[in-house]
Amino acid sequence: MSTCKPLLRICPKQQSLLPRTQCRHESTTRRHRKLLALPQAPSYTSDRSSPTLIFNPPSSAPNVYQTPLKFLPKDDKRRQLHAAAIQHSTTTAHRLQTSPIAAPGTPLHTSSHLPPRPSAALPAPVRAPYEKKYHLTDKEIGEIRQLRTQDPYTWTRVKLAEKFGCSQFFVGMVVKVPARAKEVAKEHEADRRKWGVRRREAREDREKRKEAWGREV
Amino acid sequence: MKRIAVSRCASQLLANQLPRRPTCPYAAAKNTAQHVTPHSHRIRARWQSTAAAQEDDGLGIEIPTPASTPRSPPRAARKPPPTPLPLEKLPSPHPKAADSSTKLHALRSRLSLPPRFPLPALARTLVHPSADPDPHFNNASLSILGRHLLSYYTSEYLLCTYPRLPMQVVFAAVEAYIGPKALAIIAREWGIEAAEEPGGEVEPGLLQFKRIQSGGALPEAFRRQAPWAWNVTTTHKITRTDEFGSEHAPPSPHALQRTPVPNEEAAQSFVRALIGALHVHLGSPLVKRFFRDHFLSRHLDVDKLFDFRTPTRDLSKLCDREGFDSPIARIISETGRLSRHPVFVVGVYSGKDKLGEGAGSSLDEARTRAAAAALKAWYLYRPVDVTVPSSMEGELDTSKWRPNLIDCGEVIV
Repeated sequence: MSTCKPLLRICPKQQSLLPRTQCRHESTTRRHRKLLALPQAPSYTSDRSSPTLIFNPPSSAPNVYQTPLKFLPKDDKRRQLHAAAIQHSTTTAHRLQTSPIAAPGTPLHTSSHLPPRPSAALPAPVRAPYEKKYHLTDKEIGEIRQLRTQDPYTWTRVKLAEKFGCSQFFVGMVVKVPARAKEVAKEHEADRRKWGVRRREAREDREKRKEAWGREV
Repeated sequence: MKRIAVSRCASQLLANQLPRRPTCPYAAAKNTAQHVTPHSHRIRARWQSTAAAQEDDGLGIEIPTPASTPRSPPRAARKPPPTPLPLEKLPSPHPKAADSSTKLHALRSRLSLPPRFPLPALARTLVHPSADPDPHFNNASLSILGRHLLSYYTSEYLLCTYPRLPMQVVFAAVEAYIGPKALAIIAREWGIEAAEEPGGEVEPGLLQFKRIQSGGALPEAFRRQAPWAWNVTTTHKITRTDEFGSEHAPPSPHALQRTPVPNEEAAQSFVRALIGALHVHLGSPLVKRFFRDHFLSRHLDVDKLFDFRTPTRDLSKLCDREGFDSPIARIISETGRLSRHPVFVVGVYSGKDKLGEGAGSSLDEARTRAAAAALKAWYLYRPVDVTVPSSMEGELDTSKWRPNLIDCGEVIV
């Protein structure tokens, strides 16, 4: 039994004065297959009959052996080569610039299916960049030390960081309270002892994965 | 009148039945080159009757002397002609047997060594001190020479090719190129087979060493030892320890006499001794070519040797040191942020320049990987044209010399 339904289907519901039209659905296997048969990417099809080499690697991380321009020493030859390449690409781009009559907004400008060209603007940062302030003086640092050592339960690192407008890391760098740290460690240890096997193993695996971040590319 | 040597006529039986050992392989090579057939049955018979002192008695005095060159004066010269020993009594094959060994011929041509490299010398490199304690017949001195040559060529290649490599990574890379394991693998790839038990009657093309009995314990020298010093710094490792920066002193080849050793130790001593013998017999240009063909041609991913603990911190320290803008992580692309398997591609930028790029399933992971990639890109910088110092050895025209880059060192946080 064929799974293909008749190609031509007269749509009976179309009760209008308009002439009956053919209405095709993608409801058969064959039509789906035909629909999915996309033409090959132009980089895979050669326009020449002579045998050519097709090299079309998947997108991958940049090679670490290619030193970025900023990391090259001052007298490296590659700096001049890079500058020459930049100049060449700029002149080419100027030469291939679209003419004003085909500029965006004009009737000759057709919409492209390609992604927008990369702009010169940098991508968005992961975290908002900040400037280091270095605003705390010796007197304030002394105050931080005093508050933290006197009452570590009230003046936690978070509260001190909020009060003085610095980071918690800085507070911890300035003053250490080993007794309090020991207590906290003990609490954490007690919490950890309550974990079951699955949670403990999941945490351990996560730590292992985190260590591997700096190891592989 | 030239005397017909009896042993040459009946060479099938007598070719390697010359139990009296010459004083050293070099002398043996010289003798065979001149086609001097030394002994007849009559002379052998007379020697057997002489009551000369056993050669083994002198061994105890001779052994502790360090590295002796093959040209060392003949030890037996001051003695009356020694008693010929049966082949089975010799600790290692007779040097004369080397020239008729097909295995040694095959090995020499397999390694593309020129025919002027004497086979007795090649046979000597295959005798580990555990098989033959006599330093004139084992490869201890040659392996010490070869070890220093190998470490010199490897470390100069690494330091000139990757001038910014951290010292720990240099040590690891040197070990990957010429470490004991690598040398054992190289020996196996060259088709070196080990003799079950060393002895004078054994085929000289086999690696001769005293095996550890099955189930036997590892000898004391190979067991874990106390470090040389407890406060070992990197500087100390560079100046004091061996080329791998190891914490323990490796056993000296001369100290391994009559000690059962693992296969790996014997194989690495062979490869080192071969380099030493090549240097002695053929000169350093050929050794350099041999080293390039057999050691540097082995592929090593230096970027896989790194292990950063705090890459983001190291990178910001590096940018601070070099006067670059502080690094900022930026999302280049992402997909499936709210799904179970998101992918983020994050690049680390300093000013407008991208330093590194990394992908990960969380923003933190991608950021850390990108910082690690940027650090690797810094450390794995290769100058365009590299001339190693040893390439100028004995050169009169030094116009081809390019001074190598010397970096100020790794990032210390």
